[in-house]
Amino acid sequence: MDYALDIFMIAVSGMLINNFVFYYFVGICPFIGVSRRVDMALGMGGAVTFVMSIAAFMAWAITTFLLVPGAPITRWVGSLFMPAAAAARIDLTILTYIVYIFVIAGSVQFVEMYVRKFNPRLYRSFGVFLPLITTNCAILFACLTIMSHIVGVENPSEIWGLGKSLTLAVFGGGGFTIAIVIMAGIREELDLCDIPVPFRGAPITLIVAGILALAFMGFAGVDAGLRQAISGG
Amino acid sequence: MTWVTIGLSAASLLSIAIVLTTVLNWANRKFHVDVDPRVLKVIDALPGANCGGCGYVGCGEYAEAVVLEHEAVDRCTVGGQSCAQNIAAIMGIEIGEVLPYRPVVHCGAHYPDRLGRSEYRGEKRCAAANMVADVQACTYGCLGFGDCVRECRFDALHIVDGLATVDYEKCVGCGACAKVCPRNLITMTPFKAERMLAVTCSNKDKGREVMAVCRVGCIGCGACTRASELFHLENNLSTIDYDAYPEDCTAEMLRACEKCKRHRLVFVGKPSPEDLEKAEPLEAPEVIKPDFHTTVDDTEWRG
Amino acid sequence: MTDQPTPLERLIQGVLPENPVFRQLLGLCPTLAVTAGLKPALTMGGAVAFVLLSANIIVSLIRNLLKPHLRIVVFTLTIATFVTITDRFLAAYMYTMSKTLGPYIPLIIVNCIIICRCEVCASRQSVFTAAADAVGQAAGFTLALAGIAFVRELLGTGMILEFKVLPSFWPSWVVMILPPGAFLTFGLLMGLINWFVAYRSRNRKPGGNT
Repeated sequence: MDYALDIFMIAVSGMLINNFVFYYFVGICPFIGVSRRVDMALGMGGAVTFVMSIAAFMAWAITTFLLVPGAPITRWVGSLFMPAAAAARIDLTILTYIVYIFVIAGSVQFVEMYVRKFNPRLYRSFGVFLPLITTNCAILFACLTIMSHIVGVENPSEIWGLGKSLTLAVFGGGGFTIAIVIMAGIREELDLCDIPVPFRGAPITLIVAGILALAFMGFAGVDAGLRQAISGG
Repeated sequence: MTWVTIGLSAASLLSIAIVLTTVLNWANRKFHVDVDPRVLKVIDALPGANCGGCGYVGCGEYAEAVVLEHEAVDRCTVGGQSCAQNIAAIMGIEIGEVLPYRPVVHCGAHYPDRLGRSEYRGEKRCAAANMVADVQACTYGCLGFGDCVRECRFDALHIVDGLATVDYEKCVGCGACAKVCPRNLITMTPFKAERMLAVTCSNKDKGREVMAVCRVGCIGCGACTRASELFHLENNLSTIDYDAYPEDCTAEMLRACEKCKRHRLVFVGKPSPEDLEKAEPLEAPEVIKPDFHTTVDDTEWRG
Repeated sequence: MTDQPTPLERLIQGVLPENPVFRQLLGLCPTLAVTAGLKPALTMGGAVAFVLLSANIIVSLIRNLLKPHLRIVVFTLTIATFVTITDRFLAAYMYTMSKTLGPYIPLIIVNCIIICRCEVCASRQSVFTAAADAVGQAAGFTLALAGIAFVRELLGTGMILEFKVLPSFWPSWVVMILPPGAFLTFGLLMGLINWFVAYRSRNRKPGGNT
């Protein structure tokens, strides 16, 4: 029950309260670039969510089994060369950034090839976004957040497992999709307005995003209230 | 940092690299999608403007349609004859002559010629003004609010004294203007010569009604049809059959132009050498661009 | 290749005419995230400058060994290495700043500016040209960040670099240091710069409307 509550809180906070676009400012480049039409925005959001889930899984797997002190593979290899106690303390987290970017790029490439071969229709709708997403901050940010929770930087008593990591990835991607689709809907209407020439294009998009961020700020504090409502009263 | 850690770091990076490369290589072979090399050649032959004039979203899509679905090779209006022949050569087929299509605005009335104009205070778009009655008396002709100008990506359309005018030197023939005109005044016409004869009117009413709404509209008198076989009257409007249009201008056609009392038969196209000579001593007027013009200025409440 | 800009031209271009943030719209994530204060903004600018310069130099040195389809991977790995160095350096010597900047330092790896400069300039030009280009772009980026941070910090807290500048009756516009303020400031500043660029080009044209 406690675990389910935690999952629920992570989902709500990842999607609405700490929205990736409006609170953490990641994924701004595709947010501004691809949010012209609702169908394209939906495709991009879906692709980001999909890639984020895969990347989160790979990140969790590599961090838990290889990088953190006491990881199984590291400990086994290390125990061949040094006493077991010292082997349990080998810390490879310095390799995090390089390994993550490697793995994300590789898995996205793999997924793109798979989708292109087995589902051409799906590939046409969001396959072109996949290389763009590889270097997207949102994916790396999600993986790094998951890593910081696995390593226990902020809350050493609460180490995240696969369930919580995937929840953050899926619902974080969902939050990104919500943001980009809302933005696309607004921009479709903005196309009909007569905007002053200096503000056409990116500036007016940013101002609208600012107003949307103001709206999303209304969710702040919802997590504390929800937690109290569900667990307390 | 002990040597073991360094060794482990290097080994783990190397093993991840090897695993990934192996997996990707396997995937590359297993999930290989055969791309017809002709598609790439056709993409190279196309101009790459991605204008949508062929009816497909981009040059890539059109190339795929040509190679895989046997689409016609002469759909690219920007590339024209040479491009169509290149594509035909790649596909290994023969084609006949391809004509460039260019827009013709079938209205010739500038602001002073239009009768019954009222002060329109609505949204300054042709699509919006077309839905309102009595913006101008003629319900067939050009409104002059510039939907076509905004649609054109090549700066080939301009509103000159209230009438949409085509700059044939910049026009590539994508057809966007023809699609957006709410009164369907612009038609894409095959240009068999540099300058084509066109009937610049779309008014389908009878003589007296036309004269009540416009100083220069076609009244359907039929003088041109008697002068040349190229013209015939349809719905009180003179129409040219462009399939039968000869490559060189005939004497009958020139006589028809003279016979037209309303001067609606005009030659449209790139300026001829004589026109350029005549324009030489003239000075172009200064282009005045408005400052920060927004719709608020146009619809401001003046009550 | 004969009409490529000289190294000095590249340096000057990168500051304002081809400013990576306001003109090329690259690297927007750190622009919005770290500009709540002037100090984090300048630190981020410095970090990006270091990574950009180092990555450009290295990529320029190995440019003849790059295979076309492996370019992006090599760029990314080089940048990741330097970002790791920067991250550890900041954690060691500027711990509070490292905590403030948080996850945005590792996000320099996927900062479009650096990959774009590697792709467009460093992989094709000599070391000196690439270095000049990097300095120009980094200067432009830092200038953009500092500009936005200046406005946000001044209006949001009445302070600049933790010195109280505005008098005490100024009601701090807290929204400026929150996420919406970032978007709004950035959008308005960009509109202002677009207007300025159009104004300059209008005045330069003969017979233009002043």
